[in-house]
Amino acid sequence: MDKEQLRFTGSGGEYFGIWIVNLLLTIVTLGVYSAWAKVRRLQYFYRHTEVAGSSFDFHGSPSRILVGRVIALVMLFAYNYSVRLRSPLTIVILVLIAVVMPWLLRNSFRFRLYNTSWRGTRFHFRGTVAGAYRVFLLNGFLALITIYVMAPFMHQRLKAYQHDNSWFGRTRCSFHARAGQFYVIYLLLLAALVVFAIVIGLSGIGGALVALSQAQKQGGHANPFAVFRAVAIFYGALILVGVSIGPAFHALITNLIWNNTRIGEHRIECKISPSALIWITMSNFVLVVLTLGLFIPWAMVRLARVQLESVRLLPAGDLQEFVAAEPEAIGAVGEEAATVFDFDISL
Amino acid sequence: MLQANYFDGRSTRVRVVDLSLAGDDLVIAGEDINLRVPFAQVTVDERLGRAPRRLRLTDGTFCEVRDLVALDTLLSSTGHRDGWVDRMQRHLQFILFSVVACVALVLMAYKWGLPWAAAKGAHHLPPAIGKTLSVQTLKLLDGKILMPSKIAEERRQALSAKFHALRLPEGGSPDSELLFRDSPQLGANAFTLPDGTIIVLDDLLTAIGGDPQALAVFAHELGHAHGRHGLQLLLQSSAVGAFWTLYIGDISNLLAAAPAAIVQARYSQDLERQADDYGAELLMHNGMSPALLADSLEKLAASPAGASKGGYLSSHPSTDERMRHLRQLGISFKDE
Repeated sequence: MDKEQLRFTGSGGEYFGIWIVNLLLTIVTLGVYSAWAKVRRLQYFYRHTEVAGSSFDFHGSPSRILVGRVIALVMLFAYNYSVRLRSPLTIVILVLIAVVMPWLLRNSFRFRLYNTSWRGTRFHFRGTVAGAYRVFLLNGFLALITIYVMAPFMHQRLKAYQHDNSWFGRTRCSFHARAGQFYVIYLLLLAALVVFAIVIGLSGIGGALVALSQAQKQGGHANPFAVFRAVAIFYGALILVGVSIGPAFHALITNLIWNNTRIGEHRIECKISPSALIWITMSNFVLVVLTLGLFIPWAMVRLARVQLESVRLLPAGDLQEFVAAEPEAIGAVGEEAATVFDFDISL
Repeated sequence: MLQANYFDGRSTRVRVVDLSLAGDDLVIAGEDINLRVPFAQVTVDERLGRAPRRLRLTDGTFCEVRDLVALDTLLSSTGHRDGWVDRMQRHLQFILFSVVACVALVLMAYKWGLPWAAAKGAHHLPPAIGKTLSVQTLKLLDGKILMPSKIAEERRQALSAKFHALRLPEGGSPDSELLFRDSPQLGANAFTLPDGTIIVLDDLLTAIGGDPQALAVFAHELGHAHGRHGLQLLLQSSAVGAFWTLYIGDISNLLAAAPAAIVQARYSQDLERQADDYGAELLMHNGMSPALLADSLEKLAASPAGASKGGYLSSHPSTDERMRHLRQLGISFKDE
């Protein structure tokens, strides 16, 4: 069987028009239109992604996404309120959010997959609620008490929960990466961060930060220019990690995950080049800042292309033989809450 | 004739079909398929760049069309009209208009919308929020930037007594707390915390001299408390922070600077004028002249501590104009 390369046919210039018009409508309607804008954004990217000559499609309904966004906003306010103002209510609200979150995340997987289709056949997510609590609460708690030594293991369990419970029509997907493989990549990340920290320290920048913090401890007045420089260097270092080590790690972990995911007997090959992803992320960042955001549509298209075109489907048989499952209705609340709380754990 | 892929919605099988129109009907013809449906029942996807468009039938089946030009030709003879958003997204002039309008709206929202909404919000927040914020702020600053006052105990008690004896224009006496502190960093200053607590610094009392002038400054600060300007400013900076967080990513670390922002808050001209007007009204209500506040401002402007960086007046812009306004109020007060 021939390998089927994923193709992304979108273009930044074309997407700019869609993006800016929907942004204007969102502002004019005080955010209400953002749900429609989101559907259009997803449809633009799904429909420009194709494999074996057919493109994907997104079917989510804007009104459901709007309801989800309202609930997510309420939760966000409750979260901010409780974290900023420590009152007896804080614990109650945080516990409530922790209890609701796994259920919401599971729903978000369901909504996203159910509304994704290829050749008219929809994907499905059939993970149980109990499984979600195990993955998010139990494993999250384990990661926390072991000072994140368990984090790679937790990541592996999460991906297994997501991919083992995903279906394309009546064909089940499966996940085969082992926790040990996650540990190797996480150790590389750790090594890179340590090297980065040493370089920062040796270059004397760390010295400036230490001097600054000491000046503050003694209650003395630091020179405003020095303060500004130190703060700029600190955020500069953070951004540098974000556009170098960040994307390299993302490329390696994404490759691991998709190389070990199968749709029935069909395999997937994912070869995102870390250096290519670093280049795209860095140049996107610079151009988005220089254009005060107007480059965002091009940045999104470039990022989608470099990732999607690194993926190939290795068919084990005829791609015409997938059969659709019975339809089911699914709300968007989970997905929206997950977006606002920034748990973007999908590819 | 227009070629398309037909999908039955039950499997991933691709059927190559030809689409054509026969009267008001769409004809789908190809491998073991021959359908004729009224075009009015067909939903056509909006155009998104060069992505394939789908003609969806009511039973969940659809035709995927890649030749968008040929599709337009076919659609033009059906009376189909693209949606208005669809057309705007492709219209160069409208795209340019959107760029300009987006930038203008964001700037306008920042200049006018935000202060308006924050002022509304500040009056609707439960008092407990202002209380908690103020207690936390004071805890953070006491012993670090704010030191115990060196003003004689008797003078402080006398000032406190006069302050609490003030009658508010809306009735009652001030329920704000009045705290005395010394601060080498903040100089001649007085400020109001979000719950209305007024903190007055030693350097300010020394600079303006007499008790009536001090009361005039308190009256001005009560104006800030009455208008909940502290909370309003806090809401504004939180909203700006939230906007940047959403727009460029997480900068929540910067929000840790909030307590400092409360103290060094730069009120807008508008809020200062509001506080002046309230202070003037309060002074007249208590049989004192608004000109006293002008005197205080003048003394502060003359004192090196007040006019220096971080002093009372640095956070209170255009002093001359405010003094003129207050003195005018003072003249009309004497005439009555």
